[in-house]
Amino acid sequence: MRIVASFRLWLAVTIVVLGLSFVATSQQSPVDQRTAYLESIIRCPACEGLSVAESNATSAVAVRHEIRQAVVAGSSDSVIITSLEARFGSSILLSPPTRGLGTILWLVPLAIVGLGVIILLRVARHNEK
Amino acid sequence: MTLSWLGHATILFTLISLVLGALDLLVSLRRRSLAHSRWFAGGALLGILSSVGVMEFALVSHNFSLAYVAENNSRFTPLVYSITGMWSALEGSILLWSLLLIFCLVAVVIRYRREASDDVVRWATTIVFAVAAYFLGLMAGPADPFVATVGTTSSGAGPNALLQDNPLVAIHPPLLYLGFVGFTIPFAFAVAMLITGRVRDRWPLELRRWTVLSWGALTLGIVLGAWWSYQVLGWGGFWGWDPVENASLLPWLTGTAYIHSVIVQDRRGLFRVWNLSLALVTFALTILGTFFTRSGVLQSVHAFSSSSLGPLLMGFFVLTIGGGAALVTWRGDELRSPVGVDHPLSREGVFVANNIIFVGFAVVVLLGTAFPLLYEAINGGQVTVGTPYFATVAAPAAVVVLALMALAPAMSWRRSTWPVIWSRLRTSAWVAIATVFFLELAGVRHAVALAGYFLAIIAAGSALRTLSGLVRSARRKQRTPWSVLLGPTAGGMIVHLGVVILSVGIVSSTSFVTRGEVTLATGQSTVVAGQTLTFNGFAVVSDAVKNATELKVVVNRSQQLRPAITTFRGREGQTVGTPAIDSNFWRDVYVTFDAVGGKGSTSGAQVANNLPAGSVVLGVTVEPQLSWLWIGGIVIALGSAVTFFRRREVAPA
Amino acid sequence: MKRRAISLAGALGVLLVLSLGLFLGTRHVAPEASSLPSPLLGQVAPAISGSVLGARSTASLSNLRGHVVVLNFWASWCGPCAKEAPELSTFAWSQRAVNGAVVLGVLYNDSLDQATAFTQRYGSLYTSIIDKDGLIANKLGVISPPTTFVIDRHGVVRASFVGAVTAAQLSASVDAVTS
Repeated sequence: MRIVASFRLWLAVTIVVLGLSFVATSQQSPVDQRTAYLESIIRCPACEGLSVAESNATSAVAVRHEIRQAVVAGSSDSVIITSLEARFGSSILLSPPTRGLGTILWLVPLAIVGLGVIILLRVARHNEK
Repeated sequence: MTLSWLGHATILFTLISLVLGALDLLVSLRRRSLAHSRWFAGGALLGILSSVGVMEFALVSHNFSLAYVAENNSRFTPLVYSITGMWSALEGSILLWSLLLIFCLVAVVIRYRREASDDVVRWATTIVFAVAAYFLGLMAGPADPFVATVGTTSSGAGPNALLQDNPLVAIHPPLLYLGFVGFTIPFAFAVAMLITGRVRDRWPLELRRWTVLSWGALTLGIVLGAWWSYQVLGWGGFWGWDPVENASLLPWLTGTAYIHSVIVQDRRGLFRVWNLSLALVTFALTILGTFFTRSGVLQSVHAFSSSSLGPLLMGFFVLTIGGGAALVTWRGDELRSPVGVDHPLSREGVFVANNIIFVGFAVVVLLGTAFPLLYEAINGGQVTVGTPYFATVAAPAAVVVLALMALAPAMSWRRSTWPVIWSRLRTSAWVAIATVFFLELAGVRHAVALAGYFLAIIAAGSALRTLSGLVRSARRKQRTPWSVLLGPTAGGMIVHLGVVILSVGIVSSTSFVTRGEVTLATGQSTVVAGQTLTFNGFAVVSDAVKNATELKVVVNRSQQLRPAITTFRGREGQTVGTPAIDSNFWRDVYVTFDAVGGKGSTSGAQVANNLPAGSVVLGVTVEPQLSWLWIGGIVIALGSAVTFFRRREVAPA
Repeated sequence: MKRRAISLAGALGVLLVLSLGLFLGTRHVAPEASSLPSPLLGQVAPAISGSVLGARSTASLSNLRGHVVVLNFWASWCGPCAKEAPELSTFAWSQRAVNGAVVLGVLYNDSLDQATAFTQRYGSLYTSIIDKDGLIANKLGVISPPTTFVIDRHGVVRASFVGAVTAAQLSASVDAVTS
């Protein structure tokens, strides 16, 4: 069972197999992809925190139609989002803005990961002595 | 003597018993004399049971002389929902909280009655008395449940529609509150240990057992809450990253961190200061959770109506954090252990990583929840922080947690070498990659889901390996397997298995969900994600409480479902959609009544004017392995119950 | 050194948590979504048209350019809409006499039968158009009825009301817009 015992062999197999998963059997069309993405980040106007992808309220269905039409017509993501914000306010987006104050929402998780790595490395170095 | 007067009297009596109980203990600490805790705790128990009795009597007999009953009950509310009406609004929910807290107080007094003269016990009991007195004080003042009705009401408004169409309203709040309230006891003991300086001997173990008990109740409470949301809210989801949901998650996260790092303290005496701090913080987070639910500063489907309680609750939170920090600073130096973590590749190292992830994730969730308020204060506009953000942050954290669960049981204490770890995980690792390969052959190509399954299988394998190791060592010593399977190590591994099942459920149901709207005429069928749905017509159901228009839907020609639009009688006549679910081990089919064709009906459903009459629009969601979430939750609860059995002898690890 | 770093980090953490607590404790209660002003104020209203309820014609906002328009979203199942219906009719009638503002109703997510019954019951003295699939409501960011917009002669949205309005409120608003 030397073969099974080998870590390196297993690692190689794992990388290949997991890599295969990126070779998708059917690609979603760009229109579908963009529509799905936008629908998941736009809030259903009449709901508390549900995206239009998840809700079947009339306003959500109407916004989904609108997004699809706009994507097919070639508008960019930011244009679509801006037009929705112009009517429903900035809280229509489920994802907070990435510029300005919103950057702390992404910096803090990264800082925590960095802190964690530092702590674990310090323990390793302390032991090397 | 009106009910209102009686209710107020019982609250006052309970409050006085609690205050006197705390004072009596303080006096006994000073004078080194005996305290009379059992009398004051008994008095408080009598008082709160009477308060609850008055409220339940009023609810069950539909006595509208109490304003609370007039707003949350009606003449035709069924018995079950009258009883649960006690916690369906703000003031009553505090009554439930106080009831459970006083149960905990009595539990503490009874459990340590033989050590009642021990200072740690005395200080801890004082703290529990004080916290209970605080909540009673809230009910005596700003959150009074026994306000009398002004004027006359012939029939009450009835409970909120969503609180009377599912029996889980009878189980989820009490269990969830038990989880929250339970953390008061570890907190009280942590404070007592810091004040007396007695941070060794048996107290850390006691603290740990109370924490596991509360953690188990909280986990089950949260899972049941997710199940309830799933059944009634109509979108097939179970977690919305809503502010109140997040608030209930925070103490769970720090509680999980605590449960793991205290194992290291047990084994090697490390992390004492950190663990005591975690115990203090976990309780403080339960108060923060109460604040988010009751202050009204954040909009939420789960929040009670806002009140003046916000500043009061926040004041208590600040007091807890400030006081706790002061205590830890004072005693911190005495607690430090002379040794440290030897090497990151060790069981201690993995637990450090565990703590970083869980506490770090709690910080991120807190930040995300409070962010809209920060943004409004600084920039003036409104933003929403919703699922896209939290899911993006949670996914990598979950992957790391699964990996840690896979590695930790295979690691030795103090230092592990990779060949040893690999030899222990080999079998699970090969099984995992083989499973992924076969899934890929079957057409599954979702990278994140496959990574999730891969790690989940190794984690499960790791836990099973530990369990089988325990059984083998029991056989060698000629003992029954049960003597080792009922104990903390086995319990912990069972909890891990439950987490794996739950994770697989979450991964499958979110990665491979199919959502759609189908239009069906009477008698027509359609297929969604391999499931056949047939619409067979309407049915109208009417009883004293509600009036519902149901749709007769058949799934796969055998399962009968009745999604409906229900209107509850009462002053406001609320109309809600009632989803119908066909659930089995492999998938859930979730059906909602979205719209009806033609010129409309009296059902209250949305109307699609361009469809022929007699046809309906159904919302259909098919989620694979969704029931695994609930199964996983039950296994976790069972596992934490199992940890309570003490091992007859300490088995070598 | 390491000890001091940990103590400093701990103190910083406690300070952050306490500041967050004080910040949260001083927040006011979150406003209901409906009480926030519409983001469309000051913008030109989007083009709106639809078939008229109870007639075979169509009506549109562009045809009314040059008049002040009171655009009102309503539904038969909406309680406050029933309350404001007589007020809107009174207002519409009084304005017609002086050739002033025009009231245009928009039927939000309702069955035609029940909507027609509603207009007959409350004697609505203005035309309403049917909002097919909620598209018109979405163009104006309307989440629930009753919602009313006051649009000036140049088509710019000048005021918005969520909830039942009274004839007095409308008169005041229209006067402010006309001057």
